[in-house]
Amino acid sequence: MNKVILKSEKLCKQFGLMAAVKDVSLEFYEGEIHGLIGENGSGKSTFCSMLCGIYPITSGHFLLNGKELKVKSQVEANRNGVSMIVQEMGTLPGLTIAENIFLGEEDRFMHGIVKNTGAMNREAQRLLDSYGFNRIAASQMIDNYSFEDRKLIEIVKATYFNPKIVVVDETTTALSQTGREELFNVMDRIRKSGNTVIFISHDLEEVLDHTDRISILRDGELIGTVNTKEASSDELKRMMVGRVLDNRYYRTDYNTPVSDEVVMLVKGVSVPGSIDNINFLLHKGEILGIGGLSECGMHEVGKAVFGASYSRKGSVTLADGYKVNTIQGAIKKSIAYASKDRDNESVVIADSIRDNVCLPSIDDLSKKGILKNKKLDGFASKYAKLMSVKMTSIQQYVSNLSGGNKQKVVLARWIGKGSNILVLDSPTRGIDVKVKADIYALMTDLKQQGKSIIMISEELPELLGMSDRILIMKDGRINGEFKRNPELDEKDLIAKMV
Amino acid sequence: MNINVETILGKRSGNGHFRDFMPLFGFVAIVVVFSILTGGKIIRPGNISLMLSQVYVLMIASMGVFMIMTVGGLDFSQGAVLGLSSIVFCWVSSYSIVLGIIAAIAAGAVMGAFNGFFHVKFKIASFIVTICSMYFFRGLCKYITTNGPVPATFEVMMLDETWLKVLLTSVALLAGFFVWHFTRLGCNLRAIGAGETAARFSGCRPDLTKFLVYTASGAITGFASFLNVIKVGSITGTAGSQLETQILIALVLGGMPISGGAKSRFPNIIIGTLTYCVLEKSLPMVFPVSATQQLVKGIIFLIVVALTIDHESLRVIK
Repeated sequence: MNKVILKSEKLCKQFGLMAAVKDVSLEFYEGEIHGLIGENGSGKSTFCSMLCGIYPITSGHFLLNGKELKVKSQVEANRNGVSMIVQEMGTLPGLTIAENIFLGEEDRFMHGIVKNTGAMNREAQRLLDSYGFNRIAASQMIDNYSFEDRKLIEIVKATYFNPKIVVVDETTTALSQTGREELFNVMDRIRKSGNTVIFISHDLEEVLDHTDRISILRDGELIGTVNTKEASSDELKRMMVGRVLDNRYYRTDYNTPVSDEVVMLVKGVSVPGSIDNINFLLHKGEILGIGGLSECGMHEVGKAVFGASYSRKGSVTLADGYKVNTIQGAIKKSIAYASKDRDNESVVIADSIRDNVCLPSIDDLSKKGILKNKKLDGFASKYAKLMSVKMTSIQQYVSNLSGGNKQKVVLARWIGKGSNILVLDSPTRGIDVKVKADIYALMTDLKQQGKSIIMISEELPELLGMSDRILIMKDGRINGEFKRNPELDEKDLIAKMV
Repeated sequence: MNINVETILGKRSGNGHFRDFMPLFGFVAIVVVFSILTGGKIIRPGNISLMLSQVYVLMIASMGVFMIMTVGGLDFSQGAVLGLSSIVFCWVSSYSIVLGIIAAIAAGAVMGAFNGFFHVKFKIASFIVTICSMYFFRGLCKYITTNGPVPATFEVMMLDETWLKVLLTSVALLAGFFVWHFTRLGCNLRAIGAGETAARFSGCRPDLTKFLVYTASGAITGFASFLNVIKVGSITGTAGSQLETQILIALVLGGMPISGGAKSRFPNIIIGTLTYCVLEKSLPMVFPVSATQQLVKGIIFLIVVALTIDHESLRVIK
């Protein structure tokens, strides 16, 4: 009854000397949602990139309906009934929504050399409505819509032509709870229509809830495929990591008192159009969680306390009375900031690991304005190794690193700087279980050293598991405050969020 | 046997040594090819010194544009800046040569600051600002020389000695290399070119740095105008024209990534300007017709860019 629609046979991908995918032979059934999980760098994205023609295959092949699938680009893959929704932005700004949806398919609306824009808009609107996204107007510029809406538009674009295989690569990290539900509905529809979804996600619960079967990759090799009904989260984690994971994923202590010593006083902070009159205290050795819906303004709070917001009002005062108004001032007073937008705001993407780790500490590494290059090398090596960044050398460019490794570089630079107040925005976004555990352990460690952390997160379990205190924001204001408590659960937080 | 092209080109590793040495190979190849084509004429001592006499101004002025390109900008006003500061030098050097040099540097710095101010303050793309200021400065230059060229004094022309030019160029290069490798500024320039927002969040000040870089670049060209006056003697309205394109071509020939960033290397300046001067001097010997020279120059330039361009880091120039 389970008809194989897609099959990979002894698939391999080499990047230079590194094998990213090794001899993967895998079968996908008609009408199933097939989860693909593994740590960062385990080869799941590479596997799907080869399926969609983004990377050439080194050896082995795909069989779609028994016929070899040979595609050189995503457009060709689409024509063969394979489409993909990617992790990062896949829509083009400056075009209308209809133009984005029918990109590459404009011929359908051409009469000679004249494009029938009206017909295109109507068709796009019909599609959007059929997905239940009627609040999106097809004739509008895509720039007028939020990140999240654009993701939904991308889902329409990738699925409207009824493809046989749809790859959903880590799409959920960009979506809020409602957006996720909408995506899962679409995935369900695809399954019901007899087509297949390949679902890549770091969120094991999500994978367990929404798939039929799960395949696990580790270091480019297929470890096994299990039926979701028979699988457990612990079992999957073990298969992904190759060893039994410590149960203490989050902190387990609940009654540790937090010092009364205030290290930061945030008073009346507003940023027009984003946050309004934010007030809070941060204590020594405290992990302060800030949560809310993704548009609630919490991400701006991180920038505001780091002195990075334009036109901020109010004050951010440190224990010694210093008022933080600029990024340079914040760094000097040992405040660290890791942005949610890792590639644009955290790491200098086209620069080396060395420069990335050294940048904030560059004054400490120079004498009378003269850089000691050996000292810089030593500094970068020391902290990159301390954070166990997977790299060939410190001269390697950050752009080649995986998401988890980039985050480690970011943390390495601030640990190296000796920061006392760390503002971490979505510290584990798009990062696999093992690195996640490393980051939580590091946060606990920093807390014990008396450093204070502001953790801004959209992940409720993370907020509940790690914070001493949680602030929930709604529409740019603080709407609720919770003390660390084992009784506290997600429902309590959600009640204040919406 | 599967040979991976990416490994050979070193693109994957991100710091491929092959790419770093490409411009050097290009330089050697051009010297060898033109030595053969001219029957060894271009490597005769007389010709070499002639070639070098062209290189000083270009090499010094390229240093400023090198820094501008590293932060992801462009500068088309360098030729006009050279022309105007040469005039300033001629005026002031009749009182004192040292004062003349200082005045030329100051004039260049003011013009650079003008570019930097409009680029940073009004967020206008650098190539637009500098094209506008090119016309503006060139216009001033022509206006001043309406009644004839501005001559340099006899004492200045007596300074046309190779040792002095070599010395000054070396000093300028060493100073530039020092800033590039051993100061915070060099490190910041690379970071800003490689990712401006992230650099800002790491404590760099992109706006201030850019303003400083444009000012410094003007000042450097102001310094180069001293050597320019020594060489040409009197300044006409078109003095220094084409310098901006020569600089851009030289830097690209030297392996400078057009999008700037962390892959910029200081030797790009030296190898690039040398390659450019060899080409510039050798082509007339092989192709006597000037139209043919232009044609061949264009083709060579295109081939070099096609071979060395880094597709991965190519972005729109700001």
